[in-house]
Amino acid sequence: MKSLQGFEGMGRYLDWYPVFLREMLHFRRKLLKLGYLFSAMVVPVIYLVTFGLGMGRNVQMQGTDYLSFLLPGLVAMSSMNNSYTWVASSLNLNRLYFKTFQVLVQSPISSSSIMIGEVLAGVVKGLFASFLIMAVGFVLARNFSITPLFVTVLLLNCMLFASFGVITGMITTSHEDTSTYNNFFILPMAFFSGTFFPVDRMPEGLRAIVYLFPLTHTNIVIRKSSLDIEALISLAVLLFYLIVFFAYGSRLIRKYSE
Amino acid sequence: MIALTHLTKTYGQVMAVNDVSFSVGKGEVFGLLGPNGAGKTTTIKMLTLLSRPTGGGATIDGCDIETRRKDIKKRISVVPQENNLDRELTAYENLMIYGMLHSISDRVRKIQQCLELVALWDRRDSVISSFSGGMQRRLLIARALLTEPLVLFLDEPSIGLDPLIRRQIWDIIRKTRIDGRTVVITTHYIEEAEALCDRVGILAKGSLIAIDSPSNLKSMVGEFIVEFINGDGKLIQHICRDREEAHAVAKGTEQAVTIRKTNLEDVFVKLTGERIE
Repeated sequence: MKSLQGFEGMGRYLDWYPVFLREMLHFRRKLLKLGYLFSAMVVPVIYLVTFGLGMGRNVQMQGTDYLSFLLPGLVAMSSMNNSYTWVASSLNLNRLYFKTFQVLVQSPISSSSIMIGEVLAGVVKGLFASFLIMAVGFVLARNFSITPLFVTVLLLNCMLFASFGVITGMITTSHEDTSTYNNFFILPMAFFSGTFFPVDRMPEGLRAIVYLFPLTHTNIVIRKSSLDIEALISLAVLLFYLIVFFAYGSRLIRKYSE
Repeated sequence: MIALTHLTKTYGQVMAVNDVSFSVGKGEVFGLLGPNGAGKTTTIKMLTLLSRPTGGGATIDGCDIETRRKDIKKRISVVPQENNLDRELTAYENLMIYGMLHSISDRVRKIQQCLELVALWDRRDSVISSFSGGMQRRLLIARALLTEPLVLFLDEPSIGLDPLIRRQIWDIIRKTRIDGRTVVITTHYIEEAEALCDRVGILAKGSLIAIDSPSNLKSMVGEFIVEFINGDGKLIQHICRDREEAHAVAKGTEQAVTIRKTNLEDVFVKLTGERIE
């Protein structure tokens, strides 16, 4: 009961808020378990140690030390992974096994309100994982800095992949299916979208495909210190993906039928 | 309050609900009775907007289930067959989120009222995963009542509960009638339908095969049943119009007999030739 004090009044004009609050209450309980905190950090920290501190000590990339190049990419990758995985996995489980998604569908709030609540919860989870990497970055990397552009694209990336997570959570017919989507979309993006090396080092034939990946555009913008034409185009691409994923996710919720 | 018109649902080649039509009056407790797979839950899912019909339609309080979904959501509450509480949240948090989703005013007071109704106020800060099956079911009912719905749908409300807890659930359901609420219950427990429902619709293989009050349905097939085991070890049943006829049948039988009143299962057997469970 104490956990909700001060929050009850907020939902009065914000239909999406109870959806978000519900996820946050779950998230807060998860945070209290140390295992979760470590699991959110373990993959990016392994990459950081292996590629950044191990292989990358004597490597220069795009005019900077490799660790400073790698860290923004790891933040982007981590935000993608956490926003996507949390939303896709929890929505899938809530729909197919716990049936708590049905409570949302049967309530008189719109499908877009459900979508907003789920996506914002995904954003929080993505940002949380990103902050953990950024904290490491401030300690280890010499040229790591956070600009308004960095924050903007990070938020956009979290929203985009949380929306994609809603789509996956809605269309998969079993929990195992979510890992299939992970293997086909998320994993290739993590490795080929410029997280570990610049996209222009990819074979030319693959480069066109890589530019279709939203994470590629996040990686382009997140390493920019200021807005230029290339960053603008990438932001527009990300915005396009966000709108498409958000609209499709809302439609899937609206058309839900068992 | 509720009107179904040729409501139909197919899954591929499987006919789950076949051309079902009936209506439920305001303040009525209506039961849908039938064995597993009869189409009860599918019918409820269509009425509670979890599933879309493939044919026919229905209205609740004059609102069409296809075109006025939001209006219907404001009028109904559902106690589903499967527990869909948030297991990692407390009882209070579950009800608070539900109240916010339904824009319930004066939530704090109403949550207390509902939790007290089901005797769970003292456990408001306990997480659901620590609750027994009976407590979870009581909380599901409390959550459904929080919105003060015009129509309350209960899908197999006492399934899997022991007889004592089942009766506690029935008492709570009876209390929900006090303010003239319409209640629709699906069940495959004969005694549940008889104990709670003003009228019962019997579903078999997706079709509605009978609808009336439990007493009318029973008198339709006969008031009494004479039962005995024959020489081959088979249960033989004679349905009799009245007590006198039952005694006459019993006198003419060599084996030890049991005379009992008919129940809704006998009605079901008479109509379909099959048992409910």
